[in-house]
Amino acid sequence: MINNPPVKPDELQEVPAFQDLPIEQIHSLAGVMVRRHYAPGQIIFVEGEQANSLWFVSQGRVKIIKQSLNGRIQGLCLMNRGKCFGSCPLFDMGKNPATAQALDEVTLFVLPENSLQQLKARDPHLVKALLHIYSQRLEHLARVSEVLGAWTVSDRINDCLLTYANYHFQQPVVELTHEKLAALSGTVREVVTRHLRLLEKEGIVRNEIGRIVILNTDALLPPCASEDRGTSA
Amino acid sequence: MRVYYSGGDTMVSAAFLSKIELFAALQPHTQQDIAAKAALVEHPADADLYRQGGPPSALYVLQSGRVKLYRQSKEKCQILALPGPGDCLGAESLPTGAPAPYSATTLTPVTALRLSPDDLQSLLDQHPDFQEAFLRLITVRLKQFVTLVHDLAFRDVTSRLATVLVVRAETEGQPHNEGIIFDRLLSQQEFADMVGTAREVVYRTFRRFEDEGLVKATRRSILIRDLDALRAIALQEVR
Repeated sequence: MINNPPVKPDELQEVPAFQDLPIEQIHSLAGVMVRRHYAPGQIIFVEGEQANSLWFVSQGRVKIIKQSLNGRIQGLCLMNRGKCFGSCPLFDMGKNPATAQALDEVTLFVLPENSLQQLKARDPHLVKALLHIYSQRLEHLARVSEVLGAWTVSDRINDCLLTYANYHFQQPVVELTHEKLAALSGTVREVVTRHLRLLEKEGIVRNEIGRIVILNTDALLPPCASEDRGTSA
Repeated sequence: MRVYYSGGDTMVSAAFLSKIELFAALQPHTQQDIAAKAALVEHPADADLYRQGGPPSALYVLQSGRVKLYRQSKEKCQILALPGPGDCLGAESLPTGAPAPYSATTLTPVTALRLSPDDLQSLLDQHPDFQEAFLRLITVRLKQFVTLVHDLAFRDVTSRLATVLVVRAETEGQPHNEGIIFDRLLSQQEFADMVGTAREVVYRTFRRFEDEGLVKATRRSILIRDLDALRAIALQEVR
């Protein structure tokens, strides 16, 4: 990790939270941020560990998961390019509220809390960028709460399919196992398999080995097809 | 809505602000600037303060009364929090300019200090100490939501309803010769919207708590007779 090339200012400018920052601030941030690579499946940090950094996704996707005392895993969301996750430095959240795991080859920019503290002492307007980040996360968590609380299991599975689909193909493709879909939607594998069979019967998806092809995106929209799809997180 | 503007009015003075947690540690000149822009407003029960999907809202600091924050879709509703006196709400999406992430409706008549989005933005631009206080405020709400997400993911309805009752007993409860009592405020449906279930399930769970001698619920109030037993249920992670 020591040989990782430094973070370049123009890479940072692609992160939405930093887009409005003056170029001097971008430069000083780039100076203290660290680039890290993770292999698919690698754990980035664990829920309950002391939290001390903000993480920004440069490449790949990161899965945010929570684990119950009984060991059950609940996927909360997937963070892709430009998204920010991790603790809330400055007013310590104390411990990481969830676990982060690389879903594929992932490159992250890490902003350690002590660097942030030093930068902030020199440049109080940096708080503005943080406000932007925290505000986005608040919206995201409100949405996750709604998904968990008010939707049926079928709604949650459908939502996962839409959220995690790769839209770069002619038809959207979800490359997740039923097991992973179950964890992400808060249920068990059997329920996912049954639900996907039903969707296939209705011509909404096509189940292939290791992937699900979405044939009718609109039919998967949950009861409250929310206006902010794709912009949350 | 009755609005008392602060211009020349002693109701919103810097001294008044210094007693509010959000503003207490701010520089005197920041407090003065806020006092000049803040208004003390009154709303009746069941009034919308702001709506999900609407423009970024004003910031409210509750002086009295209680509000529910919720996300609503076509048929379903999830209550996220029940801020009360001393709590702040609103302006969550001001930093990003995104639509308001949830709605706020008063459950009781409410008195609150209000800063309009424009005034709030100019105060944030001018006063780094206020910016930091506002960031702290958003962090507090973030922590609350992280807990809510955990509860919804891993606790069952019984445990979640117990959690709601324990938290309300701790924050709103008054001593009573049989335990702790607080105003009911929420309908059966609203309790269901808080714990993410159907009204019938809430009804059955209340019945169970009553049968076990933990709770006595009437239309107007809720009496907690065994807080420790409820706490134990609240902490169970069953999923």
